[in-house]
Amino acid sequence: MRVGLVSPYDFASPGGVNDHVRHLARQLRNLGHETRIFAPSSRSDIDFDTAHFYRIGTPIAIPANESVARITLSFHLANRVAAIIEEEAFDVLHFHEPLMPALPMTMLKMSTTANVGTFHAFARSNVGYYYGRPLLQPYLAHLHSAIAVSEPARAFVNRYFPGYQMRVIPNGIDLDVYKPGVPPIRHLRDEKINILFVGRLEKRKGLGDLLRAYRFIQTRVPHTRLIIVGDGPLRGTIESYIARHRLPNVIMAGYVPDSVKPRYFGSADIFCAPATGAESFGIVLLEALASGLPVVATEVPGYMSVLESGRDSITVQPRNWRELGASLVILARDADLRMRMGNYAHEKAQRYSWESVTADILHIYREALDAFAYKTLEVTNVHNAV
Amino acid sequence: MWRYRAFKAVQSLVERLPHPWAYALAVIAARFAWWFSPLARPRLEYNLKTACPELEGDPAALRRLSWLNFRNHAKAYADLMMLPSTAVETMRPRLKVQGWEYLEEARARGKGVLVVSCHMGSYEVCAAIWSATLAPVSFFAEELEPRELFEWYRDTRARLGISVLTLDHGGIRRVLQALRDQEMVITAIDRDIAGTGHMMPFFGKPAPIPLGPAAMALRLGTPLFPVCVYRLPDDSYMAEGSPLVYATSTGNARADQIRATEECLRHIEGFIQRHPEQWHVPHRIWEGSP
Repeated sequence: MRVGLVSPYDFASPGGVNDHVRHLARQLRNLGHETRIFAPSSRSDIDFDTAHFYRIGTPIAIPANESVARITLSFHLANRVAAIIEEEAFDVLHFHEPLMPALPMTMLKMSTTANVGTFHAFARSNVGYYYGRPLLQPYLAHLHSAIAVSEPARAFVNRYFPGYQMRVIPNGIDLDVYKPGVPPIRHLRDEKINILFVGRLEKRKGLGDLLRAYRFIQTRVPHTRLIIVGDGPLRGTIESYIARHRLPNVIMAGYVPDSVKPRYFGSADIFCAPATGAESFGIVLLEALASGLPVVATEVPGYMSVLESGRDSITVQPRNWRELGASLVILARDADLRMRMGNYAHEKAQRYSWESVTADILHIYREALDAFAYKTLEVTNVHNAV
Repeated sequence: MWRYRAFKAVQSLVERLPHPWAYALAVIAARFAWWFSPLARPRLEYNLKTACPELEGDPAALRRLSWLNFRNHAKAYADLMMLPSTAVETMRPRLKVQGWEYLEEARARGKGVLVVSCHMGSYEVCAAIWSATLAPVSFFAEELEPRELFEWYRDTRARLGISVLTLDHGGIRRVLQALRDQEMVITAIDRDIAGTGHMMPFFGKPAPIPLGPAAMALRLGTPLFPVCVYRLPDDSYMAEGSPLVYATSTGNARADQIRATEECLRHIEGFIQRHPEQWHVPHRIWEGSP
């Protein structure tokens, strides 16, 4: 099968959607399918097999969903895209965030093949979907099958496009990379209990609550260390908070390359995800579970679609740093509980292997091909009748 | 504390600059240091004269070499300061390697690799690339003063997957564990930081040299891999490896450690004599040094 994967986001910047696209492309190729990736990129030397990558447009940063989306808005790319589509003769074009301007929408309109869309995002509301419904509806009609990565992501789309059919297929995790026993960063493996946060340093990730909780933890379990992996606009604010309150044993690791990230999971005892809301799925949770870490997370819909409170995690109300702190203290004090939860987490993560996720996606591709063939037949019959 | 704050202020500026600007600033700082350092320059020049005796009667060549050394040292600091904002992917094309086959040979033995080196070039760059692409890397190094500065070094290296293990009992235990887990451990043997080195000829003059790496190699059967990293004229780097040194047991552990260390030291001497302008040791090594 020849598959084109389309991402609207800057392929040179780290992010969940692009990780999904990369893994899916590799997995499809391992299964003998031909894959090509279409995405904008701010760098020409991105870390991917560029022979299979079409760099379409230069991204610009646009505030969206309490974060920043790096997408291209160059509508004049249409001619180049049309030429590539014709030349490549794809069986399936798979659009990630198909209603995101401009690349997926442009390609979706031009596509003459079976189209599949995956919806990743979740938010409390979306002004674009609300006001753009009449414009976006015809684009949805171009999709022959649709996927949502979680129940919240599906509910989010259905809020604006009621009755639109989607199958939930979760994000996958590379179980060869994220597993217990990965070599740790050795100087972090001492007598301290390491609490790990991984994510972009922005308000919606709830790091402020974690820092308040960490102050609370320090008075009860002083031998803890907080490791913050990630970078973002709040870095300066966080650093000054740490300095102002003289928080001990806090490590701001900054942006960590993908090849090193599993080693931070391997160095941690507890993973904490204190997001305050708009999370669709939380791939970092899967990474933590696969690494055999117990999780303390907030009860946001995206996280709750992955976690089982009490078995692999302790979950708390969002924005409640006291509960967050208390839960971390419970886990920090109880090595047995950490081990039990970690073992269950690792076992559970096997369900999310890329092999199984890709098999489900291939099934959707076949459905889309059938739907496309049926539609083409219908059009041909009408044409012949006329 | 003020030293750390000053370092952080400069570092915050340097990491935001484009590479050529950062290097230009480093060269200016090197010029000031070369003119005004009361001890570093005389010590460096003493070390260079010991390593390259032909400089003894040529003060102009010595001055030029020590200036180049300061300049390269400052550029290595600039590299370090830019490390927090540098992606491994952008570093990778800037590293060339000679003697790769020895590294392959060492890794094939499955007992980890003990890289013995000297204070030369920007070894962080090489270690970061190896850590991202080959195997986890640990530095076995001294704890710097002040503590905040050491923690910054450690966290910056950790971001690139490099563990920093200190020269104490806990550190040695972790080094042994890392080698048992087939990782790479990098250490420098051209300076005796802990003050426990064994006196042996280094460029023909007795100097205290640490036997720790050879002792660990002897205990675990890990090969010792002499490596140096130096800067090329286009500001890329060359990692040059020499044939492996094996610490074999003859029943006399001390003698075996000395023999293996001396063998490594001969390779290190070769590196330094080929690139004296990149051997950044403005410290006291031999008796009689300023």
